[in-house]
Amino acid sequence: MTTIRDFMTDDHRRCDDVFAEVEQAMADGDKAAAAAAFVRFQDDVLHHFAAEEGVLFPAFERKTGMSMGPTQVMRSEHVQMRELMRSAAAALAAGDADAYAGDAETLLIMMQQHNMKEENILYPMCDQHLLYESESILPALRSEMPGAAA
Amino acid sequence: MQALLAFEQAPPLAAPFRFFVTAPFFIMLAGVLLLFTGPQIFVSRWVPETLALTHLVVLGFMLQVMLGAAIQILPVVAGANLAHPLAVARAVHVLLTAGALALAAAFLDLLPFGFWLAVLLLGAGIGLFVVAAGRALAGVPATGPTIGGLKLALVALAGALVLGATLAGGMTERWALPLIETTNLHASWGLGAWGVGLLSAVAYVVVPMFQMTPPYPRWFSRFFGGGLLLAAALMALATFFDWPLFLGLLQALLVWLCGTFCAATLWLQARSRRARPDATQRLWRTAMLCGLAACALWLLAALVPALGERDEWPLLFGVLVLAGGFMSVIVGMLYKIVPFLVWLHLQNRGQGKVVAPNMKAVLAEAPMRRQMLAHFTACALLAGAVLWPDWLARPAGLALFVAAALLAGNLFSSFGVYRRHAALVDARLAELGRGGGA
Repeated sequence: MTTIRDFMTDDHRRCDDVFAEVEQAMADGDKAAAAAAFVRFQDDVLHHFAAEEGVLFPAFERKTGMSMGPTQVMRSEHVQMRELMRSAAAALAAGDADAYAGDAETLLIMMQQHNMKEENILYPMCDQHLLYESESILPALRSEMPGAAA
Repeated sequence: MQALLAFEQAPPLAAPFRFFVTAPFFIMLAGVLLLFTGPQIFVSRWVPETLALTHLVVLGFMLQVMLGAAIQILPVVAGANLAHPLAVARAVHVLLTAGALALAAAFLDLLPFGFWLAVLLLGAGIGLFVVAAGRALAGVPATGPTIGGLKLALVALAGALVLGATLAGGMTERWALPLIETTNLHASWGLGAWGVGLLSAVAYVVVPMFQMTPPYPRWFSRFFGGGLLLAAALMALATFFDWPLFLGLLQALLVWLCGTFCAATLWLQARSRRARPDATQRLWRTAMLCGLAACALWLLAALVPALGERDEWPLLFGVLVLAGGFMSVIVGMLYKIVPFLVWLHLQNRGQGKVVAPNMKAVLAEAPMRRQMLAHFTACALLAGAVLWPDWLARPAGLALFVAAALLAGNLFSSFGVYRRHAALVDARLAELGRGGGA
């Protein structure tokens, strides 16, 4: 059976892949391809956030009664990443490769350390507390993330 | 529940930074020692100045950064929350810094009772860290190889400390000890089980993270840390009971394990999805290549008696492991950790109302690359100085000093960005507050 941890972790890796595509396009000097790939990346990440904030976190909070705990920290990190993605997209639109490189580097580490906390701490807690609900939660998550693996 | 509370508590910036900005000064000091002592340092690994220089590097630089970084990452990667992180950081930093200086002074015969002072200071500082980190980790189940690896490495650090203190007794009080074998054991615990053990536990997380590589193979990360500590522990038994053949085999096992880690990391890095290698990636790669070269040298020295009997090979081994290996990888890590922490703390301080400068605006690629080249030059000169000490010892000392001064410059300029921008953030928030209140 697919766990919440596996399903959401796979989606993290999928977003990483698109991020790598942007970087490769930038390295090849193809700014149009980079901008197009970045739009897809931003879209995928925002869907992932929406699935967490709209489905997973509320379910976890209802079940455990912890609304100011880890989910709150994750929400505030989402805000920071949204800000970084906006800034990186603006740099790409302006053709400013240096500004993009700085934002992308910051975003990458922010995103990876955020993913690590979710994959190692929060998702296993979700699997533990939402064992009986996961049959309904997984399809709901999937419907929020159109690009996610079936 | 403990891990939950720990989840959001990154320690204040001042906790890790005091370690990071102190560390380069120890390398500068090592450079000065080499400049003043000259070729004498490369006569053998037992020369007092050589021992002093080695401990300036391993305690003053390596352990300094390792402990500072550990205080920072324990809550993030392991959900292990240190109690009173700032107070622990302050105390450990002062004791470690003073202890490293005392030990170097003791080797140079500059300080009466220097060895015992060093044992006292280092014992208190490292002991405090081991207890604080051990308590934080004790409540955390080992859900991944990183947490397990950190716990094992902590045991190894305590072991290396005890062995170091024992050696101090052997030298000053003439305790009946096989000094050479105990020194080798101390180095195996300190550099192998602790150094490579900690590095590998952190690498499972940061190599895939910074360099976008596949993860380490599961069988590798599951058994590696335990294998290191087991080899080191059995070596202690073999030394105590004087089983030379068994000891030789265990040393070979330890070296083989470390070589496997370097090879595995290079193999992963070859699969990096990052388009262009940055300074961090080059420093990591160089470190792993130097580690492999050191393992190859060890093997050659073991198999070819004509080489194994020479005084040069342990020195070259030391240069490859310490300067080429650990120093390179540590500098590479600092170049990610420091700009990220500056950004993160400024971002939090700005409360989403004032934008923080991104990592490359905190520390640009060009100064990192300049320092990296200076560091590689220093490594090459050090290796050359083992073979031609009369010509290269002093240039190597100068190069070491320059590379460390550039590193200090880069770290202080990052901290300067933090200070200036923090003042701007405060002023802007006050302005917004007044505007909002009006």
